[in-house]
Amino acid sequence: MGIISVENTDRLLWLGRYSERVFTTLRLFADYFDSMIGLNREEYEQFCISQDIPNIYTSIEDFTGRYCFDAEDPNSIYSNLMRAYDNAIVLREEIGSETLAYIQLAVYAMNKAAVSDAPLVKLQRVIDNIVAFWGIVDDSIDNANVRDLIKLGKRIERIDIYSRLKMDGAELKREMKRLNVRISSVGIRYSHKRLMHLNYLVEEDEPDYEEIVKEVEALIQ
Amino acid sequence: MNYDNLLNHSEEINELLARYGVKFGIYKNNEFKEQLFPYDTIPRVIGAEEFSSLEKGLAQRVLALNLFIKDIYSEKKIIKDGVVPEEFVYAGSGFLAECDGVMPPEGIYSHISGIDLVQGKNGEWYVLEDNLRIPSGASYPMIARELCRRCNPKIYAENHIEENRNYAKLLRKTMDHVNRGGHTVILSPGRYNAAYFEHSYLAEKTGAHLATGAELIVENDHLYFLDYSGKKEKVGAVYRRISDEYLDPMTFNKESVIGIPHIFDIYRKGNVALINAPGNGVADDKGIYYFVPKMVKYYLGEEPILQNAPTYLPYYPEDMQYVLEHFDDLVLKDVAEAGGYGVVFGSKMTKEEKEKFIAMLKAEPRRFIAQEVIDFLDIDILDEGKIVPRKADLRAFVLMADKPYVWKSGLTRFSRNPDSFIVNSSQGGGFKDTWVLSQ
Repeated sequence: MGIISVENTDRLLWLGRYSERVFTTLRLFADYFDSMIGLNREEYEQFCISQDIPNIYTSIEDFTGRYCFDAEDPNSIYSNLMRAYDNAIVLREEIGSETLAYIQLAVYAMNKAAVSDAPLVKLQRVIDNIVAFWGIVDDSIDNANVRDLIKLGKRIERIDIYSRLKMDGAELKREMKRLNVRISSVGIRYSHKRLMHLNYLVEEDEPDYEEIVKEVEALIQ
Repeated sequence: MNYDNLLNHSEEINELLARYGVKFGIYKNNEFKEQLFPYDTIPRVIGAEEFSSLEKGLAQRVLALNLFIKDIYSEKKIIKDGVVPEEFVYAGSGFLAECDGVMPPEGIYSHISGIDLVQGKNGEWYVLEDNLRIPSGASYPMIARELCRRCNPKIYAENHIEENRNYAKLLRKTMDHVNRGGHTVILSPGRYNAAYFEHSYLAEKTGAHLATGAELIVENDHLYFLDYSGKKEKVGAVYRRISDEYLDPMTFNKESVIGIPHIFDIYRKGNVALINAPGNGVADDKGIYYFVPKMVKYYLGEEPILQNAPTYLPYYPEDMQYVLEHFDDLVLKDVAEAGGYGVVFGSKMTKEEKEKFIAMLKAEPRRFIAQEVIDFLDIDILDEGKIVPRKADLRAFVLMADKPYVWKSGLTRFSRNPDSFIVNSSQGGGFKDTWVLSQ
């Protein structure tokens, strides 16, 4: 790895995690939104439980507005996007202006969606910019370690979210394989024991999702 | 001069600037906010011959200012010879006793100088201010040019415009010239600094490492960057974007948490270059400004090519008398303030304000300078689709390596308010690219 500080290593990892969190929760939210607006008006409560976030919302309308756009709610998608931005903005010299621009564009798109009468349509722009961000990370960042740290963060977050949602074991196995490849290529300190345990857990017929979340959260030392 | 293509795409160009986060930070009600820096696509154009004269004048002025700082922190001949009164050197906050007797690498103090000029309606250029501590602003015309070229790069060749995208190379050369061996870092207080965009952009463009004080450590008389793996990488030059008082808590402000303990000790030993050198404030104080033309004559034995705005020092009784007699025609500046603050126009004060101000002036004559209000040459800006005249200044950049290099561009700042002379971004101003013609 070139000359990267401890702080920036951490920021790169969390940039990967928050960008993934925004991407996945937005897609999930879109699915739930459709369902909730129809017959299952209380389904947002299930959504909160699955995401391990406090149900502070008073109604479906309150949930759809605040979960997406409330800057004061630390669990909102907006807050997570701002955390991605907070990490990205101090990494310009590591990731480059071109790459950083896609996180900036996602923030602008989020702000536009917040005042739109069709927020879901506008939120697609946020998703598009996150996808473009990952694309340009691959394409434009020369330093392999910088790329790998962002991707490692992304893999950790994805396993975390998928486990919270108790997603199909096949999905978890696929993500675990990707995590194994990535973590070995990054010169970062991690718990080999936990990695082995994670590999074991995802292979189970009925994975212990809570244990997976615990282990993946503590993987990087 | 044909730049219609840029005018037609003003909105898109500003959108691109927003995309790349071209912002400045500002604190309002103790809350940090990032604001876009409005860009006007109509360039300020400076002819080849006109700029050639400015270039010579700027190089001359910066050479003299460097010699002045060197003299003040060593032999102090200019004081002994009675050219600059010692009160103006020692009474200002810019003089740092800790720098006395310290010689920076290659004897360069002001590596990056930002000289603020205005053009009068008579076509003459006047220096308004010398910024020798941490002048900012070069990144804005750099990125604006880059993005405007996407509109139509042919404009620049057809209009014979000097390249300005070489600033990063010039800056790198300046930093490398004094590097004591090792990496070059740009030391930033962090993202909540007003100029953080510039810190990060210059790091990206020069290939320097952007660092905060927490990532750097002094050990065994050298400065090191702490790698994530625990490896220590030697640093030979620090382009510091934090002010003198916060640079080293062991030497300056003990409360500083953004500085690097003991960096001043190793700087004193010549083991690291600090860009710009600490203590430069002694030469860019608004009171010292009055003496810069005298410095040019004293150190270089030359007539100053650039002129100051006509300035009076109430410190001198004859100047005080002039100021009191012509109060309404003058602009008064508090020498301790910057960023457009502490500037008042005599003509705009009420009777009570005037009386109060004059009492203060008499009590603290060293604190103020008075200047004739220059009738600025208005320049065109695009305001809601209409072209209107506004006041503007020019920050020219001079980089000192083996010799002074004047950047053939600059930051043109303008006031968006038709009744205002204040062009600072913190006061709502915008910026323009500065085109220097090559022929």
